[in-house]
Amino acid sequence: MSIPKLEFPPFHLPEEAEALRGEVRAFLKDTLPKVKKTEDRFSSWNTASPDFSRELGKKGWIGITWPKQYGGSEKSFLDRYVVTEELLGNLAPAGSHWVADRQSGPLLLRFGSEEQRQAILPRITAGECFFSIGMSEPDSGSDLASVRTRAEPVPGGFRVNGTKVWTSGAHRNHYCIALVRTSGQHGDRHKGLSQILVDLKTPGVTIRPIINLAGRHDWNEVTFNDAFIPESCLIGNEGDGWLQVTSELAFERSGPERFMQNFYVLRELVRVLGRNPAPRASAILGRLIARLWTLRQMSVAVAGMMQGGKSPAIEAALVKDLGTIYQQDLPEIARVIAESDATTEDDLADFLDIAQYATMMAPSYTIQGGTTQVLRGIVARGLGLR
Amino acid sequence: MDRDTRDMLLETADRFFTERCGREVVNSVEKGIWPADLWKEIEEMGLPLIAVDETKGGVGGTLADMLALLRLAGSHAVPVPLAETALANLLVGAAGGQPATGPSTIALGPLSLAGNRLSGKVERVPFASVAERFVTVVNGTLAVVARTNAKISDAPSHAGEPYGAVSFENAVCEFTGTSAANAERALELAALVRAMQMAGAADKVLATATEYSKQRVQFGKPISTFQAIQHMLAELASHVAATIASAEAAARDADEGGVPAGGSFSIAAAKSQCSDFAQKIAAISHQSMGAMGFTHEHILHHYTRRLWVWRRDFGSESFWGAKIGAAFAKAGPDGLWPALTASKYAA
Repeated sequence: MSIPKLEFPPFHLPEEAEALRGEVRAFLKDTLPKVKKTEDRFSSWNTASPDFSRELGKKGWIGITWPKQYGGSEKSFLDRYVVTEELLGNLAPAGSHWVADRQSGPLLLRFGSEEQRQAILPRITAGECFFSIGMSEPDSGSDLASVRTRAEPVPGGFRVNGTKVWTSGAHRNHYCIALVRTSGQHGDRHKGLSQILVDLKTPGVTIRPIINLAGRHDWNEVTFNDAFIPESCLIGNEGDGWLQVTSELAFERSGPERFMQNFYVLRELVRVLGRNPAPRASAILGRLIARLWTLRQMSVAVAGMMQGGKSPAIEAALVKDLGTIYQQDLPEIARVIAESDATTEDDLADFLDIAQYATMMAPSYTIQGGTTQVLRGIVARGLGLR
Repeated sequence: MDRDTRDMLLETADRFFTERCGREVVNSVEKGIWPADLWKEIEEMGLPLIAVDETKGGVGGTLADMLALLRLAGSHAVPVPLAETALANLLVGAAGGQPATGPSTIALGPLSLAGNRLSGKVERVPFASVAERFVTVVNGTLAVVARTNAKISDAPSHAGEPYGAVSFENAVCEFTGTSAANAERALELAALVRAMQMAGAADKVLATATEYSKQRVQFGKPISTFQAIQHMLAELASHVAATIASAEAAARDADEGGVPAGGSFSIAAAKSQCSDFAQKIAAISHQSMGAMGFTHEHILHHYTRRLWVWRRDFGSESFWGAKIGAAFAKAGPDGLWPALTASKYAA
């Protein structure tokens, strides 16, 4: 019987990374009370604060793995892991630079032109240049290869027409990397797609809010109406868009943000249960902590594999699947135990608000960055089922 | 032992378990038949002495070596007390005693020791009905009591293994010594052993369900081609992965501290995690295999029933969860994140 191998070799973050953790903690303790953020009592990687990102950039902690010539610090992927998890664990408003640091910068580093790298990367590492993701469209969600936005070659560049949706932060950010069709026909699937760098102030690019069910304005609709994009903004080779976008998705799935976006709920649960909860409440709290610890062990193991030069796509998909479902379970389990075991009525009322807000945001976790169903398709392929 | 030696030992053991721990053997143990030959061969291979010093006739492996072997044993539903005896021998050796031959088991619970006399009762002692001796730790003292000096009342587990309640009434110990692991630590090590066995069993469940889905034809094609089944098995895989990852992380942390201490929090978290997901793993695998997997004929239940029993052994998710939760609540919200990243109880 061929046993599918699911191993997450336990991995210790190296001492250097642990030393960096101490520095990041000290910095956050000092900086967090001073920065402005856009919204949210409890911050995460979707809470924008250009203020905060600039301070982080000054420390050299954005694009930390990138070459020094582009403003990076040439540190390891594991150093980056520690910085990102400390931002999440300390509820930092890290939303402004998150996407640029996680995937747009690495994409430009890997596929971009020298001109693009020099123009953009130092501004990202300084915490002054923010990115949005231009993948989904009204008719292309999980089926990304069906994008219709068209970039027609014209002298000196492209004329772009089409619509991108769920474009988080486009109203605040500077650029978006759009997946567009540069040749062939709709229906050609993976062929003829390219990625272009779009300055969001370009004439012909219109940004309209899409408000989510919680009343928040994160998302936007970005329409291109005969927008002219210079040839110098093509990323990589014309027609290589699909290959590039899939490599970008690997960055998008494997991080701790997939199980720590609502870490504040667990923190607040500890607060509301008080210092000496009943055994039943302790047990439920402890089980939630144990699950989070496991997710972190898995995620660190994946980071270790990536540092070792492997590309653990299936493992990353498993972590995101488990992690996002944990984030959906957390506020619901917490809500029920808080109702019976909170120490004071005031604390409880406040906590129930927090938990309800978290529950309201929770459907997004299993949709963004690859739905549960897309992830399970990837895992099923890994199991040899398709 | 070095990596190559361990891999070789595991390979040999894997072949041996495959050959000798088939369905019939596991089923006959459930009927109360002790597989004396199987046990004898396991002893001849030195497996129960894997983590005992060579000076005492053991194999000289570490705690990590033993745990790797027991994960493998879990993936074969080895129906003899290899896990219990290996741990008992490790503890006896580390307390300055000489491990004896024959199956042993671990009896941890509300026992008291006066001189070399042991008293008290422990419920649900694994393999109590077949063990030749009972090993326990009371506070900091390890004690070994021969079966003849204990009163055993059989209570087979729901997996059909010969569990039972064991009473000691001023029982004479054949050995007492200062234990390298105190009573609390002994319980942690036992819980870790179970977590590793659960990792092995979970792995086998996934392999079994996956393989079955490729063979089973309905509506004219293998059910593995149906997206509903693919997604169920992918979900199963995520729970199995969490089980394996947590147990292995705890095994590493425990081994770094050795027998006396180390990885306390990781063990608690891993046993809570493994116990927590046992039901999901059993439920999804059974659903994916339909009525076939629910029969006694099929081997799936050798693993799912063990997962259900093992999740309760040496502390369930409620037990370990309460321990974790109490410590983290006491430390307050600011203690949560630093403790989590250090894999330590919050303080």
